[in-house]
Amino acid sequence: MSSSDTQITAAPAERRLTIAKAMSEAIGQEMERDPSIIVLGEDIGKMGGVFGTTTGLHDQFGRDRVKDTPISETAFIGAAVGMAASGMRPIVELMFVDFFGVCMDAIYNLAAKQSYFSGGKVSCPMVLMTSVGGGYGDAGQHSQCLYATFGHLPGMKVVMPSNAHDAKGLMLSAIRDDNPVIFMFHKALQGMGWLGTIAGSITDTPDDDYVVPIGKANIVRQGSDVSIVGLGATVHHGLEAANKLAEAGIEAEVIDLRTIAPLDRQTIIQSVSKTGRLLVVDDDYLSFGIGAEVITSVCESGAAPLKCPPQRIAHPDIPIPFSPVLEHFILPDAKKIEQAVLSMMKAEK
Amino acid sequence: MTEIRVPEGQWETDQEAALATWLYADGEAVSTGVTVCEIMVEKTSFEVPAPAGGVLAIAIAEDDVVVPGQIIGTIT
Repeated sequence: MSSSDTQITAAPAERRLTIAKAMSEAIGQEMERDPSIIVLGEDIGKMGGVFGTTTGLHDQFGRDRVKDTPISETAFIGAAVGMAASGMRPIVELMFVDFFGVCMDAIYNLAAKQSYFSGGKVSCPMVLMTSVGGGYGDAGQHSQCLYATFGHLPGMKVVMPSNAHDAKGLMLSAIRDDNPVIFMFHKALQGMGWLGTIAGSITDTPDDDYVVPIGKANIVRQGSDVSIVGLGATVHHGLEAANKLAEAGIEAEVIDLRTIAPLDRQTIIQSVSKTGRLLVVDDDYLSFGIGAEVITSVCESGAAPLKCPPQRIAHPDIPIPFSPVLEHFILPDAKKIEQAVLSMMKAEK
Repeated sequence: MTEIRVPEGQWETDQEAALATWLYADGEAVSTGVTVCEIMVEKTSFEVPAPAGGVLAIAIAEDDVVVPGQIIGTIT
């Protein structure tokens, strides 16, 4: 290697952020541009959010625009829906998606139906950001994903970044959208040390203004033998498995959904048309889930003749265990994906 | 070679701090001023900027307890 090569390596132009920092940067930049944006939630003020989603915003914009709330999701998420109906653009944090039970009426009966029931006269430009996922021993009421629960209900968009670049771009899209957007972020990717962080989620993130469109999946690895569809943490497991499979001569295409609703069926169908094999991996409960929807979409299209039956890996239909041994036995990982693909290749006639 | 140290005077000394996340891997190149790692103190994070540009050498692993002023890595 020449000395000039060494110099290039030593002077990168990139700036890496965690998803937490990417989210707070996006919100802060948009708050500067749009005075109608208000942030609400538990510990999102002085503390900057338990998951770092609002770091620095309280100091920058003050307590009138970055409001700590009492521990009543029923009250403050209901308040956010009302704010959105009266011309503000609230961003509200539901600390754990697991807590949705006490505020779901405001979300799916009010926010999601506002525009429809008013004949389009009253929109609901609200972002509800919420943490999902387990893997750190927080048991069955703090580790769920519930992608399908939210994706199932019409009137809301649901997004989920797998890395910091997409987190910022999706957040800017979500804030500017006139519909309610559920912005899910996975704890294993967030960049909070106490949760552990999958390294691939920390990516080069431009400090300027850009959007990642809602409803568009991303092919994060090209391949010709099998399509592995994931979102959030399972994208990284899929990539790890793909690298192992490549050693065995199997080239996997890995698709990051990025948006749960509306689902980008076209990108998935095109990929499976090329590979002929489909494996869907997510960490929500198995039945009636993302895997079922993706596989059905491909089968219904008739556009992709399959070389072997499509497969899905997800969390089994039981509450998430507290014991780390049991939890990791159950959660999707790269090894399970690798083994599933190997058996799919053998299943071919 | 420039040492990377845990910032001083940003939190109470009786609070335990831990090295939360390295944003770059050992041996990767970093430029001056980018955040190289985050220190976590009771669920509040503090960013540590790169004091120089160059190749990062990590001395302290994620999850290890650290104290203000401690050397956690170098940039060469």
